[in-house]
Amino acid sequence: MHASGLSPRSHHADNAFRWTAALAAGLVLVILGLVAATMTARAWPAFSHMGVSFLTSRDWSPADDQYGALAFGFGTLYTSALALALAVPISLGVALFVTQVAPGWAKRPLIYLLDLCAVVPSVVWGLWGMLVLSERFGLGLSFLTAGLILAVMITPIITSLSREVIDTTPSADKEAALALGATRWEMIRATVLPHSRGGLVGAVMLGLGRAMGETIAVALVIGSTHGQITANPFASGNSMPAVIANEWGEADELHRSALIALAVALFALTIVVNLIATWIVRRRSPG
Amino acid sequence: MNAVELHARPSRRAASNLAMTCAMGLAVIVVAIPLFAVISAVVSRGASVVLDGFPDFLVAEIPPISRRAGPGMGPAIVGTLLVTGTATAIAVPLGVLGAVYLHEYGGRGVFARVVRFLAVVMTGVPSIVMGMFVYVMWTLRFGYSAFGGALALACLMLPVVIGSTEQMLRLVSDQLREASYALGASKSRTVLTVVLPAALPGIVSGALLAVARAAGETAPLLFAVGATKTFNLDLMGGANTALPLQIFQASSDLAFPAAEQRAWGAALTLVTLTFLLTIAARLVVARTLRRRSGWKSS
Amino acid sequence: MALQPWLWLVVAACDATVGGRARVTIDASGSTFQKAAQEVWADVFRRAHRHVTINYAGGGSGKGRQDFADGTVDFACTDAPFKPAERARVRSEFFYIPTLLGAITVSYHLPGDPALVFSAATLADIFERRIDRWNAPAIANDNPGITLPDLEIVVVRRSDGSGTTENFTRFLAEFSGGAWKRASGSTVAWPTDTRAGYGNGGVARIVKTTVGAIGYLDLSDAKASRLTCAAIENRAGRPIYPDVASVTAAGEGIEIGDDLVFSALAAGNDLAYPITAPSWCMVYAKPLDPVTGGEIAAYFRYVLTDGQALLAEIDFAPLPSSLRTRVLAQIERLAVGTQE
Repeated sequence: MHASGLSPRSHHADNAFRWTAALAAGLVLVILGLVAATMTARAWPAFSHMGVSFLTSRDWSPADDQYGALAFGFGTLYTSALALALAVPISLGVALFVTQVAPGWAKRPLIYLLDLCAVVPSVVWGLWGMLVLSERFGLGLSFLTAGLILAVMITPIITSLSREVIDTTPSADKEAALALGATRWEMIRATVLPHSRGGLVGAVMLGLGRAMGETIAVALVIGSTHGQITANPFASGNSMPAVIANEWGEADELHRSALIALAVALFALTIVVNLIATWIVRRRSPG
Repeated sequence: MNAVELHARPSRRAASNLAMTCAMGLAVIVVAIPLFAVISAVVSRGASVVLDGFPDFLVAEIPPISRRAGPGMGPAIVGTLLVTGTATAIAVPLGVLGAVYLHEYGGRGVFARVVRFLAVVMTGVPSIVMGMFVYVMWTLRFGYSAFGGALALACLMLPVVIGSTEQMLRLVSDQLREASYALGASKSRTVLTVVLPAALPGIVSGALLAVARAAGETAPLLFAVGATKTFNLDLMGGANTALPLQIFQASSDLAFPAAEQRAWGAALTLVTLTFLLTIAARLVVARTLRRRSGWKSS
Repeated sequence: MALQPWLWLVVAACDATVGGRARVTIDASGSTFQKAAQEVWADVFRRAHRHVTINYAGGGSGKGRQDFADGTVDFACTDAPFKPAERARVRSEFFYIPTLLGAITVSYHLPGDPALVFSAATLADIFERRIDRWNAPAIANDNPGITLPDLEIVVVRRSDGSGTTENFTRFLAEFSGGAWKRASGSTVAWPTDTRAGYGNGGVARIVKTTVGAIGYLDLSDAKASRLTCAAIENRAGRPIYPDVASVTAAGEGIEIGDDLVFSALAAGNDLAYPITAPSWCMVYAKPLDPVTGGEIAAYFRYVLTDGQALLAEIDFAPLPSSLRTRVLAQIERLAVGTQE
């Protein structure tokens, strides 16, 4: 991949370009490494102060130097579960509709619709959730409202990834099913779903990762109550990122360290979820 | 699915097919509902304050007294443009270069595989974590400024730009590259003059989408940008503000109708901005594909 | 033309001088209790000094103290002084400058807006959820002759770190005769079935839109949101309604330390509103930049002289005049410091 007659100068330029590009790519390593290192270092005082009870205690009271994050972890998981329960069937339905049912002319507008849904800023969803869902529809500042908003926010992600996966179903398989007299739904069940299963699970998990990390929209509608662990969706609670956003401004040394520790825990959690998702997608999808 | 079963009770199969098709259609409607609801809320509640004495809302300062009625959101718009613009200027060139390395030079080498993998990991980093990171590394040393916010947003945009650019580079046919080498061009020359222009619409589109998402981010800005109600064009000097920040800060002033109105006005402005970027992203690709329908691309 | 105002503003913003004097920007943050007053003062000051811009970010007293210790703001406002451990983090010498007295109201939302009275003990029971319905005997006791509805009480408190919370819980801790079991501080472990609002305004909003709600917030925001405020029983058992007069009365004859830190809870004469709190601004004795420092001193000089007259209109009370003289002396020390 090199032409004859290159002057030494242009060879230097070529190398310089390669190195510059490599450095740019390496930035990812540097930034991620710095984030992990600095955050963990700053979180350490809180971790060592609380030990395991950071994760197992639900008592979070900065005034007493107690930082138990259990209730926030619960809040994060509960709202994300609510969000998934709503978003998954809907995303799947939309993805199937757009790829299998919608006529050609309808596909582009539908995709635009999803794009627009994806780009509404989270703070606007939060504002709407606060003033419309919570007040006008009386759902209050609660796990449920947070779950609803999250569901709306992650649906476009899951849908677009699902669409991509579904589109890789070999048309030969689909046509074969149809040729055997299957209805469209039977064809989907027999060919599209089995083929895409891995990718769909991956898409859902990426949506989960996003739901867990969402800060502002949740902070505005979840009610900011400490220590709440309950199955009641109308109760108000808290989530890990929402607590950080709410309490950061006023936190002193140890409190801040505890909030950073929450961020580290959240970071670790979302990384694990994203890793599993990527692994599933890579393992199951062909090529 | 043997032939005998296929003919048994055809009406039930047809019925379930119809039911599932309706269910899928229903899903689409369910997705559209909140989108239209939020757009209508934003437009109906925000339009009056934005259009009242247009373009006052866009250029006037934020009223120093939150309870006082009146426009505007000028400093927040300027702040959003400044912060997002700077972030784009940092993240897009670096991201494109990085993707170029990964696809054109790195291939399957260890370094490239690690970077690619970590870029995916990085897209999943919650924005608040990036915000805290920038606080610790930048704000504590240099104070609040638009530049700190730009750094945080750039960190969020970088992996996204790398991912989408690499996808676009993959779509550029190798024949194009080989033709260029055959003509005697070096690799860097090929990339710069042949590959990138071919992938450009896709790259631009991906970048526009990344910008649209960054413009709407609030959490990272909380840690880096501070607050102000007057225009601040100084990138490095002093606190600034941005549309999402104003909306978030207004959430504590919502008891006052004037503040709530301005919040909706800011929301309308922000949503319009992000929508325009998104539509532009799609149009760029659509137009260029139409123009190039004679060309082959992969 | 739409473009022209834009261009003019951009040019003006780029211009580093205003009327021949260099632009000065002062960044501040902190208490939302004081926020309405800071905004009014900053606005009036700017009209007289066009080259100075004061950015008050709010965010709560805790944020103010934190930003001040981090050195990311030029001054900060707080409703509670630094704790000793926090104070050690501030590298340089600084002054507390009290700026006003304000009432922490107990505001509520009931059909018919009955005028209610609460004792400190009843408040402690309500906010700790030992009483959860409006027609409870303890409340009826404080309010003989008023029919109370059989509604659930919705308690509203702060989600962010707040000096208002700190002062309110201190009042409950010290004056409820032991009824208040929790600690007092800017963040408190509230019972789980309470609602949280962001900032004093956030609490106002929830109380305003929820029937049966009760919350604590500053008088200025309560009045501006048109909420009904309760009268609170003072030490003699007499119900005092929060207004500028009763808040001013709380400032009478209080003990003030050398560093100008003091408490106004259950203070003053027996016309005084019991839940009165002062609020301070913290300023470095030697600001980094003498020009900014000079403008800060000028700003506080204004706040403590002509600025005090604007307080009544936004439902705060000015500092007692004896205190004012001492504070102005402190400000002069600050002004001298900037000239060295």
